[in-house]
Amino acid sequence: MSLSLDATQLDRYSRHIIMDEVGPEGQEKLLNGRALVIGAGGLGAPVIQYLAAAGVGTLGIVDDDVVERSNLQRQVIHADADVGVPKVESAAAFVERLNPDVTVETYETRLGPENVGSLLEGYDIVVDASDNFPTRYLVNDAARLAGVPVVHGAIYKFEGQATTLVPGGPCYRCLFPEAPEPGTVPDCATTGVLGVLPGTVGCVQATEAVKLLLGEGEVLEGRLLFYDAMDMSFETVPYRRNPDCPVCGENPIDSIEGIEYAGGCAVEAE
Amino acid sequence: MDVTVEVVGEETRAVRVADDATYADLLAPFDLSPHEVSVLVEGRPVPEDQPVETDRVKVLRLIKGG
Repeated sequence: MSLSLDATQLDRYSRHIIMDEVGPEGQEKLLNGRALVIGAGGLGAPVIQYLAAAGVGTLGIVDDDVVERSNLQRQVIHADADVGVPKVESAAAFVERLNPDVTVETYETRLGPENVGSLLEGYDIVVDASDNFPTRYLVNDAARLAGVPVVHGAIYKFEGQATTLVPGGPCYRCLFPEAPEPGTVPDCATTGVLGVLPGTVGCVQATEAVKLLLGEGEVLEGRLLFYDAMDMSFETVPYRRNPDCPVCGENPIDSIEGIEYAGGCAVEAE
Repeated sequence: MDVTVEVVGEETRAVRVADDATYADLLAPFDLSPHEVSVLVEGRPVPEDQPVETDRVKVLRLIKGG
């Protein structure tokens, strides 16, 4: 057994360590792992909760919002007393209470083209738990250019989608080449969302993140998992790399410079 | 021609369209705009203004919430 896990860690992670698929080596991979979570809201909450519990050693959290009371029906790492507190601060306090092995790096900022490169730097994986298309396209494009895998998740009312975007496999634009025009797809504030829905989808994302860090299992590469909470059904939709994809196709972009991350987030042909 | 249209998570329906129909025309019986979905043929999105050249498509809605 590895000597670098101390007695407290051997106890804390004993249910991981006992499994062949994880073991002490796998737990050390998690403890040495660095995951960047974009968004500390509905999806980000269970992602942060489970990655922290699993002992992912460094969690970067990006969010520029403060906790609102209407968040608390689903954003389970924030509490009533946190209303008005920046979400990154509330999330960091939650992790600190849960697991002292985890270092939280907070970024109370909006992710944009100007800072995405520096935010991604040094992270092994990105979990996209954002709530808007410009961020989703930007994360996809910048992470693919940086060679960093992205675990994608999105929710709407009673349904969710998750997929994992691994370098070498298809990217988000292979599935959805352009974003809908603003206003055509409603958000949770307009339509409502079942409180436990992001729990299910966020846990799928956390599972994928742990598998990526361990290097074990089959991730959702080239597969989109569709979850319908009302029917309690899961469906997997296969998709393939698109040779015409402007980000990972045959003539890929080499930087995000010039891409307008607004409206359709289209990559214009040069 | 008849095309099987599967809207993921909703319904699968046979849609009859003219021989020169586009992929956008396949969405007409559904309450969906081409801008809010991806129409997939064998796992790849097809432009909605292109003529239909298949007998089966999957339609996947874009969602953004988090």
